[in-house]
Amino acid sequence: MSKALEGVVVVDLSSEFFASLAGALLGDFGATVIRVEDLAQSRKVDHDRDGMHPPERWNSLDELANRNKQSLAVNLSEPAGHGIMNKLLSQADVFLTDLPFASLDGNGWDYESLCKLREDIVYARGSGFGPQGPDRDLPAYDELAAARTGVMPTLVQPGQPPVYTGAGQMHTAVMLAFGIVMALHHRDETGEGQIVDASLFGGNMYSQSLDMQAYLAMRDERFLEPVSRLDAGNPMSGPMYPSADGRWVTLAMPDTDKYWPSFCEIMGLDIDDPRFDSHEKRCGEHRLEMMQVLEERFSKQSSSHWRRELSEKRLPADVIEKYDYPASDQIAALNRYILSLDHPSHGAIQSLGFPIYMSESPARLRNTAPCVGQHSAEILQERLGYTDAQIEALEASGTII
Amino acid sequence: MTKPLEGIRVLDLTQWLQGPVCAQYLADFGAEVIHVERPVTGDGARGVRSIKALPVGDWNQYFLVINRNKKSLAINLKETAGQELFYKLVEKSDVFLSNFQKENLEAWGLSYEKLREINPRIVYATNTGYGHAVDVNRPSYDINVQALTGIMTRQGEPGQPPIYLGMGSGDTYGGIMSALGIMLALYQRRRTGVGQFVDASLYGAQLFMGAPTLQPFLASRNELYSTQQSRKQAGNPLWNRYEAKDRWVFLCEENTDENWSKLCRSLGRADLSDEPRFATAEKRAENNAALIAVLDGILKERSAGEWLEHWRSAGIVAGLIQNLEEVSKDPQAWQNDYFAKIHCDEVNREVDVRGLPVTLSKTPGSVETLGPELGQDTEMILFDTLGIDWDRIGELKEQGIIP
Repeated sequence: MSKALEGVVVVDLSSEFFASLAGALLGDFGATVIRVEDLAQSRKVDHDRDGMHPPERWNSLDELANRNKQSLAVNLSEPAGHGIMNKLLSQADVFLTDLPFASLDGNGWDYESLCKLREDIVYARGSGFGPQGPDRDLPAYDELAAARTGVMPTLVQPGQPPVYTGAGQMHTAVMLAFGIVMALHHRDETGEGQIVDASLFGGNMYSQSLDMQAYLAMRDERFLEPVSRLDAGNPMSGPMYPSADGRWVTLAMPDTDKYWPSFCEIMGLDIDDPRFDSHEKRCGEHRLEMMQVLEERFSKQSSSHWRRELSEKRLPADVIEKYDYPASDQIAALNRYILSLDHPSHGAIQSLGFPIYMSESPARLRNTAPCVGQHSAEILQERLGYTDAQIEALEASGTII
Repeated sequence: MTKPLEGIRVLDLTQWLQGPVCAQYLADFGAEVIHVERPVTGDGARGVRSIKALPVGDWNQYFLVINRNKKSLAINLKETAGQELFYKLVEKSDVFLSNFQKENLEAWGLSYEKLREINPRIVYATNTGYGHAVDVNRPSYDINVQALTGIMTRQGEPGQPPIYLGMGSGDTYGGIMSALGIMLALYQRRRTGVGQFVDASLYGAQLFMGAPTLQPFLASRNELYSTQQSRKQAGNPLWNRYEAKDRWVFLCEENTDENWSKLCRSLGRADLSDEPRFATAEKRAENNAALIAVLDGILKERSAGEWLEHWRSAGIVAGLIQNLEEVSKDPQAWQNDYFAKIHCDEVNREVDVRGLPVTLSKTPGSVETLGPELGQDTEMILFDTLGIDWDRIGELKEQGIIP
């Protein structure tokens, strides 16, 4: 099997989940991703800073964000360590980082300086708020970016606290990887490298881009306050109704005319009910009334009843599941969206897999996330031409692990 | 300025959102994207009349923004002559992209096997509902696929209904996944000279979107990740949403003793740092509900603006929880081109649109045009790209192959 990014070398100096994940996506498709861990920094990747990710038997988020990488652990504040980093950068196709500008400038890893080491480098930065503007130095925290982006107050029901979903950072990770491959493509065409920036702010905007765009065009107050679920625009597309067992059902039938006859049949509605007998009535003057009727009907039967009925009629609607559903779903497994693995250190585990399928160069798990410094000696020897004696000396002085 | 995807031609046989937005990302960065539509009605998204029970207004931003920077070709693919014409375009294109169902594509003679035979360099990309590996005979819209992932059930306060992550939230994510897949295939093609089949699905993308909680759930089966968690029980009270006198803010500080005493001082409550219940990180986590109640009480006393002012000078990280109106005026967004302005012919004025997803310093993307009129480029594509003469174009019109 071939690899889409065969031969591409990424030097990854990142610590935020989304930026590291962009590197993992490149590694999944065959890039050589060298994760540099700075021994001088006490700052460790902390997935539990929100207090909602207690320690696990294995650090699954770290595993996802750093799989298919090699680890070089080096003290970057020592001259020898800094020199190793610069040698590595002079061979890199991509420099991936989420460090603040001040820290990059201070280390001589700003774009202009790196161009002197490697003229055509693709300089990729995962940022909080983008490369420009008054707040470009704010920390790259997804919560801060999500708060600023506009839908946290309105995704909820009226009176509820704003909600944080975490989807924005996931957009940013993929946007960053997309930008990097685009820049590599351009470099191979023209010989020109450049800076790529994808921010959490931008990612959060794209994760809610339809709401955002609708507001930009329509400027209506209705986009600024939470709207009750029983005040949806279309009773058959978007709202959710509780079933008899408390599990919820959601409907996605924007073209209500198309589905009306089968829908009436399973809901026990009169197809000719004059209140609801046209799309205009259902989504117009009688929409609130119709939602009340559906609320009452759905509450009479169990979620499994509704799933069976909806699926027999091939209606786009489903029961709202919990995470245990995909964990045991064959469709997720067969597509390798969720992998069952025999992990070298943790035994039988499940992990998220690969959201992109490629027929000739599929993503592969070549190695699980490396231990700190697992590949230091190998990288120094094979890539940078250090001798055994030199490597031993660097280890002895604590410059590398 | 040049664009990174100049010279790449994309046949964008898609409708609604996931496929079209994928092609939008490519078009924003210079690919020649031809939105292929059926004559007369075109892409269903052209018919969007209302959003959130509100009339869509004097311009259809839904279609026009998702399909910006594109051309439109109207063609009848049900006819053999239409398919033959399309094959000629496949010969001269780099990417074929579709989010139509497999059965439609097969009926129109547009399977991967067929198009690869015509052009081995073609990158054949699909956006499916449930992935390439299994034929799932079930309609897939954003919300009913999101429902299956489990991500909705864990949002919001306990006892509240599940939360949908926003209009098109999964489609948009599937779209960027697909754009990344296409770029990977194009990059590899430079070396190998051959294309391949790429798929990104609504289900796969949305499972990945849940990673911050789904991945630890898979690892631990801890219900913490799969069920609703109250903000009143946040494990780190210093990293939480709070309601000030007038509005909500997000406080983002790690749970360290230093941050805690800094916060107490900034609240004018230095005495709190001596409170034994909250004296260490562990205690603050253990007595989180009590601490959150205390902070709720204090923060309600002043406006968000006042607190942020205090926090800025104390070096405490926090931000306003804005609404869409506020972000639409946010200079940080405008200065990074996350919004753009573009002339809209439909209403003959400048309109605001969402901007670019990623910033490239030397070959930036741009918004040049809003979405095309149905079939507006059909004749020119046939004439310029395929070299078909005007007589033949006339015949194709008479046969109803093109409008």
